[in-house]
Amino acid sequence: MSGKQRIDDEPAFVLHSHAFKETSLLVEVLSRNHGRVALVARGARRPRAALRGLLIAFQPLDLGWFGQAEVRTLAKAEWQGGQPLLGGQALLCGYYVNELLLKLLPRDDPHPALFDAYQAALRGLSLGPPYQIVLRRFEMALLKELGYGLTLDLDADTGSAIIPGLNYAYIIERGPVRRDDGADQGIAIPGRVLLNMAANDWNHPETLSHGKVLMRSLIQHYLGNQTLQSRRVFVDLQDV
Amino acid sequence: MSPSSLDELIDALRCLPGVGPKSAQRMAYHLLQRDQRGAQRLAAALDHALRVIRHCARCNTFTEDEICARCLSQKRDASTLCVVEMPADLNMLEQTHAYHGMYYVLMGRISPLDGIGPKELHLDKLLARATDGSVGEVILATNFTNEGEATAHYLGEMLRARGLKVSRIARGLPVGGEIEHTDAGTIAQALVERRTL
Repeated sequence: MSGKQRIDDEPAFVLHSHAFKETSLLVEVLSRNHGRVALVARGARRPRAALRGLLIAFQPLDLGWFGQAEVRTLAKAEWQGGQPLLGGQALLCGYYVNELLLKLLPRDDPHPALFDAYQAALRGLSLGPPYQIVLRRFEMALLKELGYGLTLDLDADTGSAIIPGLNYAYIIERGPVRRDDGADQGIAIPGRVLLNMAANDWNHPETLSHGKVLMRSLIQHYLGNQTLQSRRVFVDLQDV
Repeated sequence: MSPSSLDELIDALRCLPGVGPKSAQRMAYHLLQRDQRGAQRLAAALDHALRVIRHCARCNTFTEDEICARCLSQKRDASTLCVVEMPADLNMLEQTHAYHGMYYVLMGRISPLDGIGPKELHLDKLLARATDGSVGEVILATNFTNEGEATAHYLGEMLRARGLKVSRIARGLPVGGEIEHTDAGTIAQALVERRTL
């Protein structure tokens, strides 16, 4: 088997898994150097399988796999540790992040920087609330890595720098334009907030509230007609 | 039997978890060629079960009656309610002979990525059961998977908000477990959740 088909000791996280055949598991993982990969873990659902309890989401693993088809075969998995198990609200935020990766990141598209952003997000979630900053940073990194990078510090019409004291409207796939010239389309955001977002500085509450609206619209735009199941479940959970 | 009804049978068998086209074909040939009496028994049992089995009005597990025998038993402690994911979990807890209270079977777990939330699990039924006045403590015995934890978290919040005492089963090393032979994840969590002596 050539070196290309066999991968060893690859840092990875399980994003989601499904039962597959009698005793196997079909696992979607995010790996550092090979992007999102689908793996079959043979026999992982047997009662005493060594892989049982190991292939769980949000835990750093070292994985080895082989194969050339779209779905590879898991050869080895090692627990890396150091990431506390997520609980409560942090766990639900983790599901949201995983669903974004499953729905927006194509398979076999390597993004080491995105892997690092994901790892940082999980660490952030395990430190406790507030989780919003962690989510906004991850969403920004995800959009940037997917090539939808946002220009937040330049006026999309004139190319000149955003002025803190003016009001802008963010138009998806175009960028921020002066509110008074851009009619009433787009998402209204003050210039100072755009500049804070561009600097990845989320400490001000108004940056967070505008950021949430902007990210939600952008992500829904790139998801197309797919719905985020995790978000729907959270909304239902708020009512119980 | 015409080939189309054979195809229909093979297709029907594929509704079973873990049964693909090959296994379904093997099962169909076996039932038709080698074990027709077994096939008749299977068909009758399936038909009968579908007609008589329903969910217990109190604990939600499978039963043939409105309320199952366990929920009607006078010998059980009505003040504790143990919430489990599946009937198999209930059977396991019964085997311990360490629990004598009542049960509620969720018949699943919250799984946001699969779109399974409180509506799909009919959590309002559990809420009605837990707040019917007889229950003092709810023990959450969902699995120690991410989905089981998410379920326990939400049930905990929901039930505590209604003034109920809520507890979660403990986790750590198995009985007779040696640290040397235990997986790292379990030991890491056992350290996080250590208790003072």
